[in-house]
Amino acid sequence: MAIRLQFENNCEVGVFSKLTNAYCLVAIGGSESFYSIFESELADVIPVVKTSIGGIRIIGRQCVGNKNGLLLPHTTTDQELQHLRNSLPDSVVVQRIEERLNALGNHVACNDHVALAHPDLDRETEELIADVLGVEVFRQTIAGNILVGTYCALSNRGGMVHPHTTIEELDELSTLLQVPLVAGTVNRGSDTVAAGMTVNDWTAFCGSYTTATELSVIESVFKLREAHPSAIVDEMRKSLVDSYV
Amino acid sequence: MVEYNFKKITVVPNGKAFIDIILSRTQRTTPTVVHKGYAISRLRQFYMRKVKYTQSNFHDKLQKIIDDFPRLGDIHPFYGDLLHVLYNKDHYKLALGQVNTAKNLISKISQDYVKLLKYGDSLYRCKSLKVAALGRMCTVIKRIGPSLAYLEQVRQHMARLPSIDPNNRTILICGYPNVGKSSFMNKITRADVDVQAYAFTTKSLFVGHTDYKYLRYQVIDTPGILDRPFEDRNIIEMCSITALAHLRAAILFFLDLSGSCGYSIAQQAALFHSIKELFSNKPLIIVCNKTDLQPLEGLNEGDKKLVMEMKSEASKSQGGEAASADDFLLTMSTLTEEGVMAVKNAACERLLDQRVEKKMKSKKMNDCLNRFHVAMPKPRDQKERPACIPQAVLEAKALEAAQKEGRKTEKDIENENGGAGVYSASLRKHHILANEEWKEDILPEFLDGHNVYDFVDPDILLRLEELEREEGVRQAEAEDGDEDFEMDGEDLTPEEREALQAIKKKKILLIQEHRIKKSTAESRPTVPRKFDKERKFTSERMGRQLSSLGIDPSRAIERARSRSVSRKGRKRERSVDRDGEDGMEIDGGSSNKKLRLRSMSRSRSVSRPLGEVVPGEGFRDSAQKMKAITMARNASKKRNKDARRGEADRVIPTLRPKHLFSGKRSIGKTDRR
Repeated sequence: MAIRLQFENNCEVGVFSKLTNAYCLVAIGGSESFYSIFESELADVIPVVKTSIGGIRIIGRQCVGNKNGLLLPHTTTDQELQHLRNSLPDSVVVQRIEERLNALGNHVACNDHVALAHPDLDRETEELIADVLGVEVFRQTIAGNILVGTYCALSNRGGMVHPHTTIEELDELSTLLQVPLVAGTVNRGSDTVAAGMTVNDWTAFCGSYTTATELSVIESVFKLREAHPSAIVDEMRKSLVDSYV
Repeated sequence: MVEYNFKKITVVPNGKAFIDIILSRTQRTTPTVVHKGYAISRLRQFYMRKVKYTQSNFHDKLQKIIDDFPRLGDIHPFYGDLLHVLYNKDHYKLALGQVNTAKNLISKISQDYVKLLKYGDSLYRCKSLKVAALGRMCTVIKRIGPSLAYLEQVRQHMARLPSIDPNNRTILICGYPNVGKSSFMNKITRADVDVQAYAFTTKSLFVGHTDYKYLRYQVIDTPGILDRPFEDRNIIEMCSITALAHLRAAILFFLDLSGSCGYSIAQQAALFHSIKELFSNKPLIIVCNKTDLQPLEGLNEGDKKLVMEMKSEASKSQGGEAASADDFLLTMSTLTEEGVMAVKNAACERLLDQRVEKKMKSKKMNDCLNRFHVAMPKPRDQKERPACIPQAVLEAKALEAAQKEGRKTEKDIENENGGAGVYSASLRKHHILANEEWKEDILPEFLDGHNVYDFVDPDILLRLEELEREEGVRQAEAEDGDEDFEMDGEDLTPEEREALQAIKKKKILLIQEHRIKKSTAESRPTVPRKFDKERKFTSERMGRQLSSLGIDPSRAIERARSRSVSRKGRKRERSVDRDGEDGMEIDGGSSNKKLRLRSMSRSRSVSRPLGEVVPGEGFRDSAQKMKAITMARNASKKRNKDARRGEADRVIPTLRPKHLFSGKRSIGKTDRR
């Protein structure tokens, strides 16, 4: 089930939160409303943790994680690291890494099994990703963009990538990631899909500008509710044609 | 994309207000004080400015009106025709044309009077010319007063027009008056159109919005149309006709089967046939309303035939693919809401089909093909990659259907505790720790100048255990090794045994040497002051002790004193005669050396030359540095801020000193100067 929300009048929800199957990180805002939406949806099941990384709020773009672990950039302070270690269950490995590209969320897209990584990422970082997150790592670009983490929203059940990804590239990526993929947008046509939404295996949070068509595409490709990815080519096709073209 | 929003047109003031606005602005923003003593060029300039300023204000304001109102030729034909129907194109154009003429006239007037003002030869003349100029401008505006009033009315009416996007998905409802168009509109949208039991309740176009398959459709409710020649139709009907003619929409033609609207089925059919050209190439559905009063099956033969005729006509007019025959004629009742949704869905579906068909042929479709493609993964290995949904979620989903219990969220707590900005949530609230009480424990960030977290090791116990285990292994090994060594000692050859002996001896010697060195500790004072609070360890005591042992203490005391650093103002003493020394030589020598070091005179250290480049200052070479120093010095020099007379000033001496040239009177009174 996908939910539309805003962070302090900003629709880039994926920037201010990080959702995985084992935990959810939320930025510290001026009020609790953003946090409470996550809390009411998730807190019964997984820990929802308010945190900053390196004192700033764009945590979704700075860290990368899945149910096995969480990688933090070198800018993370000791206190934040300790806070995260205390807040997350012991099964989640929290690790700070020395990587020049510190916006890890923009450079890595991952689910619990596979990760796409920025081509310029350190070899050591790549190994750490593989070890800590327990994933296979592929160095890839998406529609010519090297910021794979920004242009790819991924869960174990599906994925959404930059709207200009060609069909061949989609098929190739889908085979790598082993999930159904679709090229799409969020937030009324924004191509930074991972910035505009955050998703795990059973729920998704999108910016509040997301249109009904975008939302239904998201729900079908990530198999939220009873929808199935093939719905996009079957029953939704006409609506999509009319809204895109 | 053109936006059809006429709400942004600025208010058109009527003639009198217009003049007031402009003249008062001229009065406010141009200078008002003038004297007849001023130079004539200044006077002329003063009045020219007023004339020109007034003209430019008139020009701006009129130009704004012309630009704000849409040009009928440029906007979508639907709006063009609608505006024509409502306000009469000729009248509209005439009014705008007059405004434009007025604008040009005023410019001309201004030009003429500015020219005249150049010949004005007194304040009075110039002023008269200005008054005349402004007066003529105002007359021009007064003359277009009616046009301005008309434009203002048009503006007000246009601002209230519904914002219809002619290119969007549209469903158009039309039919005779009082057949239930507005009721249907209210059923499928939230437009809340007025519904009354008399004809022509709806007097203009109304817009509502409805959703179907993730898309938004605008639904347009039109006023009823009567079946009469085109020329006889009134403005209200013409609105409907315009919408039908120009909007590419799905059209719902409403039929009242019961005849309770006051028109028979035959009349309605006649209307349908007279305006059927307007339906060509548009998805058309004939909707039989009020089935609660008169079901379709209960109609008499003649009427039924008429309805079927319309149906076949409708299927002919349909552009594009043929839908199933049932889709052209639908029955419903807005009173019982029976069939309402079916009508809406059929209309939306048909419209969508038509639009999609058209769009599939367009070039833009190729750019978007990738977005209608779902890439399904080809298996690349045998690995299972399951989704990870906690059991709790599945249970919660099942539970959700049963009941929905509200969780007390952080936001509720925040609101209870003073709201955002006042309440500050604890980050530690949800920490997962072995002991609940540890949650609020305060961990210092820095301790004794060290970052505490550098020393935190979560696995410390594990590591300790590991180390201990390792130690145990080592110890066991060492014990084994010793035994081996002893046993080996016996197995050695004589040479090896000798070597071993030598090594052991050397080792012992080294250790001893080290211990001696350590015990004397380079002969530093062995008792630090902090352990000698009572001042017991004095040189007197040492002397007493030494003399009790039968040793002459004087040399020892002397030495101790000489080494004391705190002693100040020591007299220069004779250098010690080195020949008569014994035993203590080595120590004494080193002490002398130290003394010499202290007393040795040093040459005065040379300060760095001014221009020398020091790394880190950022100068290329010494020349550059010198230049910078000079510039800094010059910059900090106090300028002649008070503007006093200086010797560098040009001086014109008094050419005719007064005391030499005035006050010479013949009478002899000489001191008036």
